[in-house]
Amino acid sequence: MTAEVQAYETGDRRLTPADVHSVRFTRGTMLRPGYNEVEVDRFLSRVGHELARHAQEKAELRDRVQTLQKQLGEVTVIEPPSDQAVRILAQAQLTADNYVAEAEDFSRQITSDARAQYEEQLRQARESAGAIIQAAHETAAKMTRGGTPIGDADGATLEQLQEQVAYLKAFGQAVRVQLRSYLEALITDVESEWGRADPGALPARPLPAATRSGAQAGPLNVAAELQRGDDRKPGPSANGVEIQGTRG
Amino acid sequence: MDIPAMRANFAKAAAAGDEAPLWFYSHLFLSHPETRQLFPVSMAHQRDRLFAALGEVVARVDDLDSLVPILQQLGRDHRKFGTVAAHYPAVGASLLATLEHFDDEWNAALAQDWTAAYQLVADVMIAAADEADDEPPWWNAEIIEHERRAIDIAVLTLRPETPLAYLPGQSVSLETDLRPRLWRYYSPANAPREDGRMEIHVQAQDGGPVSSALVRQAGIGDVLRLGPPLGHLALDTGSDRDLLLVAGGTGLAPVKALVDQVARYGPERRVDLFVGARTEERLYDRADLERLDKEHPWLTVTLAVSDDKYSPLEQGDVGDVVQRHGPWRSRDVYVAGTGPMVDDTVARLVGSGLPPDRIRTEVFAPSRPSPDVDGEVTE
Repeated sequence: MTAEVQAYETGDRRLTPADVHSVRFTRGTMLRPGYNEVEVDRFLSRVGHELARHAQEKAELRDRVQTLQKQLGEVTVIEPPSDQAVRILAQAQLTADNYVAEAEDFSRQITSDARAQYEEQLRQARESAGAIIQAAHETAAKMTRGGTPIGDADGATLEQLQEQVAYLKAFGQAVRVQLRSYLEALITDVESEWGRADPGALPARPLPAATRSGAQAGPLNVAAELQRGDDRKPGPSANGVEIQGTRG
Repeated sequence: MDIPAMRANFAKAAAAGDEAPLWFYSHLFLSHPETRQLFPVSMAHQRDRLFAALGEVVARVDDLDSLVPILQQLGRDHRKFGTVAAHYPAVGASLLATLEHFDDEWNAALAQDWTAAYQLVADVMIAAADEADDEPPWWNAEIIEHERRAIDIAVLTLRPETPLAYLPGQSVSLETDLRPRLWRYYSPANAPREDGRMEIHVQAQDGGPVSSALVRQAGIGDVLRLGPPLGHLALDTGSDRDLLLVAGGTGLAPVKALVDQVARYGPERRVDLFVGARTEERLYDRADLERLDKEHPWLTVTLAVSDDKYSPLEQGDVGDVVQRHGPWRSRDVYVAGTGPMVDDTVARLVGSGLPPDRIRTEVFAPSRPSPDVDGEVTE
């Protein structure tokens, strides 16, 4: 057996093509012609290992290549755009923006002009309608005065009745305003003075009877009742004054 | 992080005005063309908003307590735009390129600091968006009623496909396919219903793309997209004081939702609602308000006109009418309407002795494109 054969049999050195070319086996004897069988078998086994190792390495490398290729595919290298390209796109964008702005401005002018005209016509129509109605009222009043006075059982004229209605309306309004101010003032009082009060901080000494039953207890009870009441809203007629013009 | 250096660097980009965001978006769209579809055709308003938001972030970068909630809100809100985690690095790269482009003294240290800062911002936003993923990024809602109530005002009834929880008085943003990628805020005019139906009041702003389309083009069967609710005009549930509600124009919507809340959930109390408009025709929800007034004994509705001398309704600016009907010193007050109307009403009420901390207001512009960094949707 030659030195080379021994070397790859004993050491970890991997089999090279040169090893295969230069391999020399021990010749046989007269009884067993040919190469030494043991050496040949050993060599073949060695070659088999080496081939298997190559196949495995190849597979590993193929996987590696695939992984890397995939990564490359995901991270497409982006070349930063050139200054010139940026400038050209910026110019194009500005042009587009200007067109849109012009269109919006045009639309703004047209709509506001149209709206102004519409509102002007509406205003004129309303004013002439108002004038007509006023004239009609005046005519009606003249005709009533000129003709037989319309009176009720007590002989009150229409004018007197109208005056009464106006007076009652004004009175009702005034009463509502008064009542509301009163109620608001009470609630403010309750909030600022009583809302903050800590019951523990109340004076232990009883208040004089006059104070208890008089000024304080009275309004507070009214306020409490008003607040508790189910219908806290002014009656329908008073409400009608607020939402005037619920014209049928 | 060298915060002063970063601020100095940002100031240079900010000083370039519109140029800087224009550069940023062009860079972004060229490097990531798929991001273009997340934005509207016209980028004019978008550019203003981007740098305003970035400016806020830079200003508060050393005050994380106030910055983090803003970023979380931004992150959650961006889900409706179709923003996903993968978009954040793309934006970061273009932001850095922009900051570099406008700074002659750009250096590696700045690049490193900005990368780290942006990563922080993106992480907070992405985390907040992920946390919100038990909710849909947006809600599809069908228009089931569409009524033109005035020449430029429509009342729409929407039915979201999946329930959308909100508080009465809050606003939701919405987008229509008629005007893609333009989101506007509107207040539901009712407390949440079991069937999810909500009423919104839209006033077409002259030249306003979304509001005009909603009033004049949208119709029954159209599907809108709704974003998550926000806003602050919610009823103080810790108080059972009587209420004074004052509304001008479509500012009626959030205030009407508060009336609905009292009607449905109580506690019952006296509610005075004042609604102002220029003319009678513009009191677009009058029939329903009068119905509510009849149905609820605790509610009094007063309608006022400021420019309609033949009308039998109360005459004058609504703030003036409110003052004439006062005093209101014991009330909780909610005011919603245009800026001047809100200012006038509040000034009169405070002048008549109402503690300012009992007044809650919402300036209700006809078109409200986006919340500011504090989540307010007023303009």
